Amino acid sequence: MSNHDKLKELLIDTFLLDESEYSLELLRENVDTWDSLGIVSMAVGVNETFGYHFTPEEATGVQSVADIIRILEANGISFDE
Amino acid sequence: MSRPAVWTGAELDRAVALAPHAVFWCLPRFAPTVRTRFGERLVDTLEDVPADATLLVVVGGGERIDRAKLWRRDARPALTLVAVPTLWGSGAEASKVVALNVDGKKAIAVDEALLPDARLIWPELASELPDWRAREACGDAWSHALEGFLSPLATHALRDELSSILRTMTTLPIANDPEWFEPSARACAAQARAGVGLVHGIAHVLEGRLAAHASERPFGHARLTSLFLRPVMALNRELSPKFDELMEEHDVDGARVLAACDELFDAAAYDEVLPVLEAAWMDVLRDPCSRTNSALVRPAHLSFFTERRFA
Repeated sequence: MSNHDKLKELLIDTFLLDESEYSLELLRENVDTWDSLGIVSMAVGVNETFGYHFTPEEATGVQSVADIIRILEANGISFDE
Repeated sequence: MSRPAVWTGAELDRAVALAPHAVFWCLPRFAPTVRTRFGERLVDTLEDVPADATLLVVVGGGERIDRAKLWRRDARPALTLVAVPTLWGSGAEASKVVALNVDGKKAIAVDEALLPDARLIWPELASELPDWRAREACGDAWSHALEGFLSPLATHALRDELSSILRTMTTLPIANDPEWFEPSARACAAQARAGVGLVHGIAHVLEGRLAAHASERPFGHARLTSLFLRPVMALNRELSPKFDELMEEHDVDGARVLAACDELFDAAAYDEVLPVLEAAWMDVLRDPCSRTNSALVRPAHLSFFTERRFA
């Protein structure tokens, strides 16, 4: 499974989204479950899936799927697939 | 001084003697014991607490203590509140959290103003506890300590504090033992600073749904947390090495912790509630406690429970 697919599956499960709701352009402001608890779940899930620990600043600062990818790529996790 | 203060029996005697007007609100079955020690100072309801009362002593389980905490905050904030638990497990006597049942669902209020001013252990009150209730109380206490310790929101210092409590708990029997009161209270106060996890998420959702369920005895909060400790800890360990890593890092004997979870498990009760868990699974995932579980809980993880992969 590609990292894009892993991230898609992770965020659908974390925020309890329909598959049709997910896109790379998805914004936190448009997801009800991407609240403070969702940030915790997302950080836990990213760690389990990619082995990367978000700092609290990173986790709370993320505003979109693109932001997650940017942080992971900056830490050596490639999404060029 | 940190609240609640931990009083001895002698301190309560003195406070009651010195208070201009002290009253007790207690579970009816403890009324004779309270009356023998403190005389005729009981009220039947919180609304009966006289306007000039200065000290309220609540004697009961978590639900009664929570009701007193909420009432004091909202109606009589100047009143001194002393909580005397008749059972360990909920830790309500030491916590700024109140769990409310609203329309069959669990709602949580967290407020420093909910903390009692003092708490007290009166071990004799638990002397006639039925075995099953004592066991469930142990499970409730275990669930607070364990889920608080594993919470992704727990700091290293908080885990140090909870690891000490966990070590104490591993020395206690899953049975009626008044030594449970203190670690239970400390566990509840500590977990309130981090949060709990899926065990509580399941319990909160299923409590309401099982309220009308005919069973040998009710599926209340303590019974459900006791029941799901083993399956949830097994799921956490399957999903993440965090359980084992944290146990080792904080010098807690993980094998003894898991043995306690095993001892609390009841296969017949599990079979009874499993259909309800299946029907409620998506609500469990949405519960705030489930969302701060130590491992990410996903829709597909229901099969872990239905296929009994923890067995």
